[in-house]
Amino acid sequence: MAKVVVITSGKGGVGKTTSCASIGTALAMQGFRTVLIDFDVGLRNLDLVMGCERRVVYDLINVLSGEAKLSQALIKDKRLDGLYMLPASQTRDKDALTLEGVEEIINELKEDFDYIVCDSPAGIERGALLAMYFAEEAVIVTNPEVSSVRDSDRIIGLLDSKTRMAEQGQAVPSRLLITRYNPERVEQAEMMSVQDIEEILAIPLVGVVPESEAVLKASNQGIPVVHDQESDAGQAYSDMTARFLGEEREMRFTEIEKKGFFSRMFGGRR
Amino acid sequence: MALNLSEQQAAFQFKGGALTVTTLELFTSDVLLIADELNQQTRRAPAFFSQTPVVLAFDKLEQDETVALDLIVATCKQAGLIPIAVRCSQDAIKQSARALGLGWFPPQSEKRLREINEQAEQQVIAARKPTMVIRNTVRSGQQLYAKETDLVVMGAVNEGAEVIADGNVYVWGALRGRGIAGAQGDQSTRIFCQQFKAELVSIGGIFQTFESYDWPEVAERPIEIYLEDERLIVGS
Repeated sequence: MAKVVVITSGKGGVGKTTSCASIGTALAMQGFRTVLIDFDVGLRNLDLVMGCERRVVYDLINVLSGEAKLSQALIKDKRLDGLYMLPASQTRDKDALTLEGVEEIINELKEDFDYIVCDSPAGIERGALLAMYFAEEAVIVTNPEVSSVRDSDRIIGLLDSKTRMAEQGQAVPSRLLITRYNPERVEQAEMMSVQDIEEILAIPLVGVVPESEAVLKASNQGIPVVHDQESDAGQAYSDMTARFLGEEREMRFTEIEKKGFFSRMFGGRR
Repeated sequence: MALNLSEQQAAFQFKGGALTVTTLELFTSDVLLIADELNQQTRRAPAFFSQTPVVLAFDKLEQDETVALDLIVATCKQAGLIPIAVRCSQDAIKQSARALGLGWFPPQSEKRLREINEQAEQQVIAARKPTMVIRNTVRSGQQLYAKETDLVVMGAVNEGAEVIADGNVYVWGALRGRGIAGAQGDQSTRIFCQQFKAELVSIGGIFQTFESYDWPEVAERPIEIYLEDERLIVGS
């Protein structure tokens, strides 16, 4: 039976879609059949980051309104077997999303996949609430800045009250993913530290992704950054996904890198 | 008229009426204590005590408590009061009163007493609703209201969250959001927290906002917030 995971944050631009693409890709790399659903109707991005924007024919709304079958709308990843995505509509109104329709789609996908990863839009409107409603696990993407942390806090509160699990009296297990982390700026007190964020949000940390040029480059090329295993961000997403699956891995990229043997050898791409 | 047979002028007339009489309700039979307190009161309001008739009420004393009524009466007289009667259910006191030439009133009727007690009980029940206990962190956008009771939050109260109680507010973690105690105006309520980084606190309607991000070191310690002369005191 598939597990429904929501990638959410409240605030926009913190790296939800980037994280969703990389987590989904990493899950598929581990051999799990994975489907990514873009809930950001009207501002679809996930197809771009996944590099399949030119293969979108039908989308989530087409399926919801019965204009297309689910199998017609699913796009198979060109690099990995067992990785699919369901794009959002760029032209249609987000009001076309209904709870019943989303439930039907998720139930249908559950039969065929191990992980259903929902990319939530920013904000706390209908799209975001629908993306999280059926979640059985959540990854909260947060940047090390006060506004992002506060919005994440708000979202965790909603996960605890506005989801199906919450309505059944259970809490959605939520884990914290910190992105765009820069230990040097933390040192200079320009950025919040991992400890500060953990203390406020009070949920377990699943990963820290450093601020990295590789992320922007990967997004623009339409290749999830986790494919770039030489980059720190790519490695961080691999680590994070392993931890998500229950493996113990030491947190990396949280301390200022000392120019040691390895970085001299490999140049330490950032 | 049948009554006026002898053509004599009437010597008196009985008239019923309610006079306001001061009742001295005794909580103890210890004459020294009574004398002490009477002395203090006399000093404060001498006029009140000159030739004022009082009824000594013993309803609040235990049934079997021995009472030296003569001494109590003497003490009252020294203070300027004039005991005119006793109110009691105890037979011994009633006998002494007769011997001392004092009148006797029956104790306040049991029914009435029960009514008073029930009223008091109801008030007590109304004032003590079960405490509201929250076991997790209160997050941004969430608002909790403990109506007519205390609020205990076992996690933190984050920025953008609001915890409100008609009674006291206890936060086991850090208070980073808004804390409001005595929401119905009770100024004797307090707010307690393990770490103080609040945006706003209010007690009984008197509030203060805190803008600073540079909290002093003491903010890391357990903090108590209360009112003193209508001023908020944030103490550790």
